[in-house]
Amino acid sequence: MSEMVTKRRSTHPMKIVALLIVVTCLTLFPFVVTNRFYISLVNEMLIYGLLAMSLDVLLGYTGLLSFMHNAYLGLGAYVVGLFLIHVAPSSLWLALLAGVVVTSVIALPVGWVQVRTGGLAFALLTLAFGMMFYTIVWKWYSLTGGDDGLMGVPHPDIQVLGITLGSSGNPTTMYLLSLCIVFICFLLTWRIIHSPFGAVLEAIRENEERASFVGINVRRYKLYGWMYACMLAGVSGGLFILYRGYIGPTTMSAFAGAGVLMMVLVGGMGSLWGPIVGAGIFIFMQDYISTMTEHWELFVGLVVIMLVLFLPRGFIGLGDYLTRFRKE
Amino acid sequence: MTTILSTKSLHKHFGGVLAVNDVNAEFKARQLRSIIGPNGAGKTTFINVITGKLPASSGAVVFQEQDVTNRPAHVLVRLGICRTFQITSIFMGLSVFENVRIAAQTEIGGSLRVFSAREGLKNVNTKTWEILHRLELKDKADVPSNNLAHGDQRLLEVAMALAGDPKILFLDEPTAGMSPAETEHIAQLIKGLTDTIAVVLVEHDMDVVMRISDEITVLDQGRIIAEGSPRTIQDNELVKEAYLGHG
Repeated sequence: MSEMVTKRRSTHPMKIVALLIVVTCLTLFPFVVTNRFYISLVNEMLIYGLLAMSLDVLLGYTGLLSFMHNAYLGLGAYVVGLFLIHVAPSSLWLALLAGVVVTSVIALPVGWVQVRTGGLAFALLTLAFGMMFYTIVWKWYSLTGGDDGLMGVPHPDIQVLGITLGSSGNPTTMYLLSLCIVFICFLLTWRIIHSPFGAVLEAIRENEERASFVGINVRRYKLYGWMYACMLAGVSGGLFILYRGYIGPTTMSAFAGAGVLMMVLVGGMGSLWGPIVGAGIFIFMQDYISTMTEHWELFVGLVVIMLVLFLPRGFIGLGDYLTRFRKE
Repeated sequence: MTTILSTKSLHKHFGGVLAVNDVNAEFKARQLRSIIGPNGAGKTTFINVITGKLPASSGAVVFQEQDVTNRPAHVLVRLGICRTFQITSIFMGLSVFENVRIAAQTEIGGSLRVFSAREGLKNVNTKTWEILHRLELKDKADVPSNNLAHGDQRLLEVAMALAGDPKILFLDEPTAGMSPAETEHIAQLIKGLTDTIAVVLVEHDMDVVMRISDEITVLDQGRIIAEGSPRTIQDNELVKEAYLGHG
């Protein structure tokens, strides 16, 4: 039976080294570059990176298009903000937990409806639900502050095992908290994607009909994938409100949703780090160009068009592109 | 021989068109039954209704004395009703090994394990290698399935169906587009399957059908017009008429 031994697809050691180097650099970053503005900028990249990665679980691994994944970041953020304002102003972990739980509770019936469809219908339903959530948040003035957004969210201290690490109002401390949570979510998602469960999601992406004809309950597994992606989005929402101290309904708009989708496409679908890099590029462009012109959307659009034309697989395709170029 | 699956007065209509019209068929264990008939006779629709791809309009499908009419496909697969498609349906972006592995994983279990490596499911791996070995696809295990030759893709689909441990296997034109050598290979393979399971073959290649079938069912315009051994079917006037009359 020696031939029956499966080759284990072990992770290349260089990949682990590269990951450690990146994480080390990101950890040292706020101590080297002490400018608060840049620390907050990279923090936002990390938070949107987490959101884009969670969208990639749907898009790149399960083959489901969600136009407004930012809705679940928004829901998570509002819940965490409201929890801190009205329930317990100093309980950071409890607030984050509440954010994830409530986001999941809302995402469950939405997902239940959505997985009964596939392809374009699924994508349109995500748009419909996303717009509903946007309108509710925008119009429910007494709870969410409507157009003005949710203001006056307290900055609780970050405590681990009874030790206070600092205030979430401090950009460096908050940055390190985001980095830590995003890193944990990355590892967790990597593990899940490479598990037998991840294999089922891939099968659904490749061929839904065949998946059900090898005995997979396609709807149920799509719902699991959806729930996991929304939970991660809820986590990113919690980090978002802690870092900003504010959220308005525009964060949940269809326009912002398209931005998240672009992050995934720019970075590259079907790799977990691609969308994080994509989020970084997108937020950097948005920030850099908006210092020069108020019509920054135009130029971001142009850059995205160029990237899609010349790097159709996204940033992760850059490696292949360069190799081919060198050979030629 | 015991009946493993039967249909009772099965109907399927699309608008006003009766594609399957009052079909009562019996499929017996360890028997190879072919379903033949002119184009548009309702062969594929018939097995689509049995395997859960299409809902029945009326009538019943009974599997091992259990009414399984209109159950979802994945439930039928788990019961042991597996199939292949007329147009190859595999996971094109995945390797040959992964295609069969995922089918074996669904059958054996472990799909909800989120914290272990997919390569770590020992029983699933063993079963996958066994099937690849049996279908002579072992050397191509690491090949992306979209790079396979057409014949091997058809074979891979059979491998995936077998990984589901079928009790009855429906094959929709498995030899379509295959070379004579490949056809011979798959014909022998199909015949060999009846040592353990029931096989239902929808096939256009009459040479193959007449050579390997135990029993043949002939459909025309959604109805069974003849049933019997290959020899009796060859001599049947109604069958000749169906093929020649309005073929």
